[in-house]
Amino acid sequence: MEQFAPIKRSKDGQPVRYLIVDDSVFARKNLARMIESFGGQVAAEAGDGLTAISEFERTHPDIVLMDITMPQMEGIEAAEKIVQAHPEARIVMVSSVGYQENIVAALQRGARHFVQKPVKPEVLYEVIKYVLGEDGAVATGAGAGV
Amino acid sequence: MTNLPDERGAELRELFFETSQELIQALNEESLKLENHPGDEEIVRSIRRTVHTLKGDSAACGLQELSELAHQFEDALSLESAAAHSALPEIAFAAADIFAEMLSSYRRESPMPATEVLRKRITELTAAPAAKKTRGKAKSADPLPQSSKNWTEAEKRAIAQAKTAGLGLYNVVVKIDPHCAMPIAARQLIHNAISSMGEVLVVRPDAKSPAASKQVEFVFATAQANQQIAAKCHIPTIAGEVNVSLIHAARTAKASAKIVDQPAALGLDAAVTNSPSSPGLATAAAASVPNASPEVQFPTTETGQQQASTENMLRVEAGRIDSVLNLVGELIIGKSMLQQALNEFGKRYPKELLRGKFADAMAFQARVLNDLQRSVMKIRMVPVDQLFRRFPRMVRDVARQCGREVDLDLSGLETDLDKGILDAIAEPLTHLVRNAVSHGIEPVEQRKAQGKAPRGKIRLHAYHQGNQVVVEISDDGRGIDAQKIRGKAIELGMVTAEEANRLSESETLDFIFRPGFSTAEEVTQVSGRGVGMDIVQSVLQRLKATIHLETHLGRGTTFRLKLPLTLAIIKALMFWVEQRLYAIPLNAVNQIARTRESEVHQVDNYEVLQLRNQVLPLLRLGRPSVPDIDRKSSKLFVLVITVGEKKYGLIVDALEGEEELVIKALDDQTFSTDLVNGASILGDGKVVLILNLPAVVEHVARTRPQDAGLSSSGLLLNHADRARLALSAAGGQA
Repeated sequence: MEQFAPIKRSKDGQPVRYLIVDDSVFARKNLARMIESFGGQVAAEAGDGLTAISEFERTHPDIVLMDITMPQMEGIEAAEKIVQAHPEARIVMVSSVGYQENIVAALQRGARHFVQKPVKPEVLYEVIKYVLGEDGAVATGAGAGV
Repeated sequence: MTNLPDERGAELRELFFETSQELIQALNEESLKLENHPGDEEIVRSIRRTVHTLKGDSAACGLQELSELAHQFEDALSLESAAAHSALPEIAFAAADIFAEMLSSYRRESPMPATEVLRKRITELTAAPAAKKTRGKAKSADPLPQSSKNWTEAEKRAIAQAKTAGLGLYNVVVKIDPHCAMPIAARQLIHNAISSMGEVLVVRPDAKSPAASKQVEFVFATAQANQQIAAKCHIPTIAGEVNVSLIHAARTAKASAKIVDQPAALGLDAAVTNSPSSPGLATAAAASVPNASPEVQFPTTETGQQQASTENMLRVEAGRIDSVLNLVGELIIGKSMLQQALNEFGKRYPKELLRGKFADAMAFQARVLNDLQRSVMKIRMVPVDQLFRRFPRMVRDVARQCGREVDLDLSGLETDLDKGILDAIAEPLTHLVRNAVSHGIEPVEQRKAQGKAPRGKIRLHAYHQGNQVVVEISDDGRGIDAQKIRGKAIELGMVTAEEANRLSESETLDFIFRPGFSTAEEVTQVSGRGVGMDIVQSVLQRLKATIHLETHLGRGTTFRLKLPLTLAIIKALMFWVEQRLYAIPLNAVNQIARTRESEVHQVDNYEVLQLRNQVLPLLRLGRPSVPDIDRKSSKLFVLVITVGEKKYGLIVDALEGEEELVIKALDDQTFSTDLVNGASILGDGKVVLILNLPAVVEHVARTRPQDAGLSSSGLLLNHADRARLALSAAGGQA
């Protein structure tokens, strides 16, 4: 797996915290692995939309990676509910090409970005940097060992 | 991500194979449901979701063929006509099978199964209405207007209004990254980004136009400067070239963004005003794209420790738990070594006060050890559901093949069982269920003729009973005819006609478990019970499990499997026979009694014991220890044990006590009798052999009639057997 310069939170230099939402354990682990290679930290995981909302409330992650098709509550609805309650929430939709309309809907409801499955780490890395904007800082060599 | 080279990659791959099995199981279950509720959209949706997940996971794992096939199926499922298609359950079953085959091919790196048939059937689903499925794919020759100045009236009005408000008016053209597979989503994202900076007045081209996948053009009013806009639109992975041109400069450099609140949407496209601007979106100051410079490599060592994952399920390889369990076993041996040492210490220094301290500490340790053992064993426990859930699909398939109509009823799914045992009984249980469908349940016509419900019922039920788990397989079919079994057994020379007549019904039925009995082909028709029951029996014996059957002619059959909770450690009762130490599982012992030789009677060369009001067949492991003259008065220890559903009396010389034994498997080279199925080492290094009771009982049943002359001595183990026992014990000690 490639190495990425770690992205840290610019306000305190701490790892960026993520909530991973997907009904496939495999997909979650896969994303978790990428996130760790970006120097991030998995704050919580959820396998459905309802859990996603409660886990968001509990952990207040910096970024949510949200699948679209899930049991209980689909990703779009969960994303919408989260954004309604927390307009500052950064939600990145993760889904396959076939669900473009759903992604458009999610973006209209406040999701910040999307990545396509299968997720490529380099793409996710760029997306996360973008979504964090000023709140994220790519650590340089001098800051190593935080 | 196509190949996962590192170690964690391999782990992920394992995880994938495991979870994909679950997905296929789910697919099977959903297909069954759909078969029973044809056209149910909710079920079709959940099938689609399952296939979708499988597609995503397999793509991430680099399993191209599987991912493509799943994709094709998923696409087909999204069509309304497909959901209502009557062949859908069939195709879903076929898909589940092919997916499973592909998975195992990947695993074994063997050639892929043929998928053409399935593909063809999937296209059948889609073929009907060829209308849909074209969106977004068609190529258009429309030349894109770079910056079209031909605004509509409404747009002109909006632009004029923005000018009056003193804001800058920009025309932004963003090319969509050609690698982005979701251009419409990309367009939406760019739209979001721009509307976060100001008021979008015009969007071109229309989202539905084919050109929309190439670029998007906006006219919008903002107080931001040119460079900021460009930076904002440089969205990684989706946006290509960005072209910002000023249409009308802002009146003041820092005009307030009042315009946003104004009703600028006078007749503007609904699609444009629809999107709420995202408040608080941070300005991506330097979002210039390529930034993952390789020279700023970081040691990312901290990532490992920081897995604050809340997921409270763990997947652990069974082998790791086994090694922990093994260590616990060693600890238990260590415990009894300490106990032994303490006893000697106590004898040597009876007045030493330290003894009490040692004893306390040891009692504490023993308690913790007990908990530890129980916890580790609990880890190995899985609900029988894991096994039972396979059966609905299997019953359906078998019922179809044999033209039966069968309902399957599962209960006690949450009953926990050791994973190793569960895996081991999978095959015997499958066999029993298959038999129940094909031989137990009668054809519909026959059932009707007998006044039974046309649909047969098969029930799988699991429950705890003391230290055991019981699994019952019952059917309401034709039952087994003991008379026919008897006839067959005589015909096969397993028993003489005379002996056969003395056998009770349940003893007769036990013939079906004998090797050689069931393999005769025509028996299947005669008895209605099939091939391979001896295999079922032998697996169960290895597990120290028992099987018993109960049958009523014309009303059905129940097989009852009694399984130990775990394989590794048993509570055992130890006793001496001819200066050798043996053990049997404590839960097989009903009662310990003292009796006299005078209570032992001979019935047909079988020794029986009358104990209060019950008559027990007697088992002896050795010769009577006293000469014949004294025999009548000598006292005996009798262990009343239950094997299967029957009780026996086991004669022993002396009792040693009960203890938890850690079973060490005996390897076949030093030891080849099935009378003993394990050994254990005690704290003082003594070896104890653990008897395999079903085998011992069977041994008696088999050898007794031939050894009629010897039977008065009650010899169970012959010399060869005992020599082997002694040998293995010596081997275990070394």
